[in-house]
Amino acid sequence: MTLAAPGVLRPDWGTAVAAALPFVVALAVGAVLLAATGRNPIDVYALMAREGFGGANRIAATLTAATPILFTAVATAVSFRAGIFNVGVEGAFYLGGLAGAVVGFTLVSWPSPLLIPAELAAGALFGGMWLTLPGILRAWLEVDEVVSTLMLNFVAINLTLLLVNGPFLAPGSANSATPMIATAGWLPRLLPPTTLTLGFFIALAVLVLYFVWERLTPLGFEARLNGLNPRFSRAVGIDVRGLILKTMALSGMIGGLAGSAHALGVTHRFVVGFSPGYGWTGLAVALMGRNSAIGMLIGAIVFGALASAGTTVQLFSDIPLEIVDVLQGVVTIFAVVRFARIRKRPGRA
Amino acid sequence: MIDNVLATATLLTTPILLTAIGGLINRLGGIVNIGLEAMMLAGAYIALVVSSATQSWPLALLAALTLGAAIGLLFSLVVTRLDANEIVAGVGFDIATAGLIGFILKDYYHSSGTIRLPNVLMLPRIPLGPLDQVPIVGAVLANKDPLTWLSWILVPVTAFVLSRTRVGLRLRAAGAAPEAAVALGMRPLAIRDASTVVAGALAGLAGAQLSIGIVGVFSVGMSGGRAFIALAAFYFGRNRPGLTAVGAGLFGLFDAIQIYLQGRGVPPELVQMLPYVVVLVVLTSLGVADRKRRLTQGG
Repeated sequence: MTLAAPGVLRPDWGTAVAAALPFVVALAVGAVLLAATGRNPIDVYALMAREGFGGANRIAATLTAATPILFTAVATAVSFRAGIFNVGVEGAFYLGGLAGAVVGFTLVSWPSPLLIPAELAAGALFGGMWLTLPGILRAWLEVDEVVSTLMLNFVAINLTLLLVNGPFLAPGSANSATPMIATAGWLPRLLPPTTLTLGFFIALAVLVLYFVWERLTPLGFEARLNGLNPRFSRAVGIDVRGLILKTMALSGMIGGLAGSAHALGVTHRFVVGFSPGYGWTGLAVALMGRNSAIGMLIGAIVFGALASAGTTVQLFSDIPLEIVDVLQGVVTIFAVVRFARIRKRPGRA
Repeated sequence: MIDNVLATATLLTTPILLTAIGGLINRLGGIVNIGLEAMMLAGAYIALVVSSATQSWPLALLAALTLGAAIGLLFSLVVTRLDANEIVAGVGFDIATAGLIGFILKDYYHSSGTIRLPNVLMLPRIPLGPLDQVPIVGAVLANKDPLTWLSWILVPVTAFVLSRTRVGLRLRAAGAAPEAAVALGMRPLAIRDASTVVAGALAGLAGAQLSIGIVGVFSVGMSGGRAFIALAAFYFGRNRPGLTAVGAGLFGLFDAIQIYLQGRGVPPELVQMLPYVVVLVVLTSLGVADRKRRLTQGG
């Protein structure tokens, strides 16, 4: 049940081709759909490429869309490295987003340099606590983390909805949303008038920290060891329970940070349907990038481009936005094909 | 009021139960199938289209069953032959299928969410004569569609097949000990694929029950995470059909209670959260029990 593909240490061309394969398949499937509905796929893809990368504004939009995906990819990769198949980042994203928003609309008198870190810290704290729970269940009671984190995602979505329709509902608001975050608590825009905020650079910083963590820190080393060979790591005396707990907490913290950064930088409040599945997209990107920092950066930018291009392509042409879902879905399916033979734990209750 | 809630609960249990039985068979065969959500949604869509085009509910069910099975086969091949991780591939199928259907809805019907088609023939409801008037029993049994009856019949049938027949034994062998199965001359991957096809077919029927059994329209959010509730049901039931049916019934009841409580001051999110919390509690208590057993045996 190793999560690391061969060649993780030294990225080689074989790995790069394998990582690009899902996109090729997805573009082919999308081309069939587009052609079958009477459109020229090449024209559509050219339009999408232009909308994704053509000019500073569009690149900024792409990087903005890539930000939550980059965060959630790293959050997922932390646990994957340790061989823990955690699919609960989506839930941490919801909780972190709500926590950040609550701090942001409550402490309205705080100045930016205090408020923004407080919001981000709240997100990380609640996200971290959230995923510590399945960590405990896995480490001490051997509860399968795939099922527990999957279930917890649905609990998180409904729990945040419950809170946002209850104590945190904006006065006079009919749709399920919190009050707006104080403007001092918004992440500053870096290149006005584009939408790019500090959030993207926080995500980049987290990515760099992840790189350092997995290569240079004892915990990162232990995680890799456990991910490659859990029996060996136990035999050499690694505290596997502590490792599970720490990596799950870390994964949750990054997922929560992702949510609060999204609330502060993009939505400026917590609102129903807060995440269109960022946790799942991040998971696909982590798998596709084989948990490597550079691979995840590329994957996040490509998915970001798809998302930002899809929105504008629908505006300017008659192509339904759902083409992006089709492409994303196919990429996700093939992201895990043939390589990384992850957990083959047959039928355990 | 109790009769109303029970009647609704029975209808809402059907898609969960059908999918849960399929998911259970699939899981015993070795695949945890999250793609069932996609197969349910596709079944719901095609059943409405075929029912409208042919005014025949058996044909509509056949179409839903076939499409669900076909998507199931595709999913299974990706998992068994291309070694894809089943959870991620399942999520991918859910996203891609919802996207594809959303694309068709916009492109062909010019609708961004819901379609109503002319002359849709709904599934018939089977009356039971004098039993209809009996409290509780009548609410549960009377005027139910054929798929609801099918889901009930499948519970003992599945239990029997799994525990008492050669097919059931082979299925469990393919899931629990694929190497041993190969050594005995079986083809575990083919058995696994077959179990996914069955699961897909049942999920397709579950979708048909939603579109032409209950409401008579199709919308993109129609499956609404019911495959995940079904997953919760068979985890709750620990792969036993009877207990899984209890779980499905419980979650169907939650669903009906939530509808009943709408606008009565109880937040619907609270009730929607329950199935998942129940599964977490069940898994945790099983974990505690296992740990106690290990400690006493080991000490």
